[in-house]
Amino acid sequence: MKQLTAIDRLTAVAHGKKVDHQPCICPGGMMNMIITEIMERSGISWPEAHSTAEQMAALTYELNHAGGFENYGVPFCMTVEAEAMGATVDMGDAQTEPHVVDSPLSSATQLDQLAPFSLDQGRIPTVLTAIRLLKAKGTGVPVIANITGPVSVAGTLVDMTSLLMELRKKPEACHRLMSLITDNLITYGQAQVAAGADAICIAEPSGTGEILGRRFFHEYSLPYLNRLLDSLEVPVKIVHICGRLHSIYEELSALHCDAFSFDACVSIEEIKPYLAGKAIMGNVNTHALGSMSGNKIEQLTKAALNKGADIVAPACGLPLTTPLANIQTMVATVRNEFSGDEQHELSD
Amino acid sequence: METKEEFLAELSRCVVEMEDDDISAVAEDYAVHGYAPLDGILDGLVDGMNKAADLYEREEYFIPELLICSNAMYNGLDVLRPLLPQEEKNSKSKIVIGVVKGDTHDIGKNLVKIMLESAGYEMIDLGRDVAVDDFISTAKEQGAEVIALSTLMSTSMVNMEKVIQGLEAAGIRDQVKVIVGGAPISPAFAEKIGADGYSANAVEAVKLVDRLLAG
Repeated sequence: MKQLTAIDRLTAVAHGKKVDHQPCICPGGMMNMIITEIMERSGISWPEAHSTAEQMAALTYELNHAGGFENYGVPFCMTVEAEAMGATVDMGDAQTEPHVVDSPLSSATQLDQLAPFSLDQGRIPTVLTAIRLLKAKGTGVPVIANITGPVSVAGTLVDMTSLLMELRKKPEACHRLMSLITDNLITYGQAQVAAGADAICIAEPSGTGEILGRRFFHEYSLPYLNRLLDSLEVPVKIVHICGRLHSIYEELSALHCDAFSFDACVSIEEIKPYLAGKAIMGNVNTHALGSMSGNKIEQLTKAALNKGADIVAPACGLPLTTPLANIQTMVATVRNEFSGDEQHELSD
Repeated sequence: METKEEFLAELSRCVVEMEDDDISAVAEDYAVHGYAPLDGILDGLVDGMNKAADLYEREEYFIPELLICSNAMYNGLDVLRPLLPQEEKNSKSKIVIGVVKGDTHDIGKNLVKIMLESAGYEMIDLGRDVAVDDFISTAKEQGAEVIALSTLMSTSMVNMEKVIQGLEAAGIRDQVKVIVGGAPISPAFAEKIGADGYSANAVEAVKLVDRLLAG
């Protein structure tokens, strides 16, 4: 009988199949997985690892290798897309994530001022090479490529406050902007898949129900997320949306993703009925992971499983100070909690 | 419109209904009629902003709506504030606000600033990606009674704690209340780093500051 690889497991669970144990992952990107301990262990540090493919690959490899999450994930920030489209990025330091410091546009109406997008801009080649390097290892560990969602990219290309007001006041310009961004993200995402990504995770920290409300989520988040999802041929498609979600529960079933990931403030039991046909991913509190004892982590991880998480993951990005031991405890807890009778074998 | 009440109702309505283009003319007309600018601000503009905040709390409005309402309020303030007699320009306590180092997501911070400003506080906005020392030196120089810290990124949360430690090192921790907020922030985290308060949203932030400064 074939031993399941972590890729098999994630792919199976994302499509509603039962496996020996649930996957325990942290995608990377906005859902930061990198911690200071791993930088110290590997001798590879931020900010250099954001711009060097070998270091990027080696850093995420080291976390998995050290008994961490059952995946690799790149990049380690949500600025690659915006930078390639013209935003100015501060690369941060060993404790600070890269972040956009200057938006190229002050209004969605200035769309024509954006430079044409191509795959050789900014750190896109770095990310694509890192994916190739990780895939080439042939370890059976899924490579998750991260994409920042269309609304979140729009909110860094145009000042977010202006953009939010223009969603209401200048819908035509906003749709043109969203459409262009989505086209660029499709180009980027398809290149990630071609480079060997086993899964794509799109994080939408700004295009949320809490910020936009149902009407604008429906008008600006959902259609562009779906266009992006539909354009990517990859076995596992994950969407993460931050914040409270009750205002958009009814919208979530329309998302064309395989797995849906959400914050710790959302109850698994409450959201589950709205996610029929999708794998539930989440939602272990990252504050707890960062600061609490192993016992507590075990409890919270079991609670997520018992409430129905199909893929166990942190609810948000990890603080860099998160102890490796807590991540190891989380992964080990999931591994030890068998989800069904069938072991080492896929079943429907 | 002729009576003061009609004008106040119209100023309020312009804020609630997001008429940020029309409100300046209404405010100018109000002033031309000789009505008191402070009443126009409090019973017109701020009244409208409070109603908008109610709609936000009831989830009839979300952030885009609230931002346009506040834009209308500010446009009205631009007309009426310069007309205030000097003795009415004094506001409540000063509050330093900003997004901590490592993060540039400032929507939450802007909303908190708007609501505190409409509640009468004098806001000193340091913007986003603000160095730890800037919060401390500004609070010191300006005699601010509150520092409000925001972040959306879990990797930047540690800088909130550094601001509190910096205030202690500077020997002014007991002179300043520190409040924190943002998506990854919880009451437990606020307590752990020794903040004076946490608020989940902009409307709650006003109640929190009122409470902290009354105590």
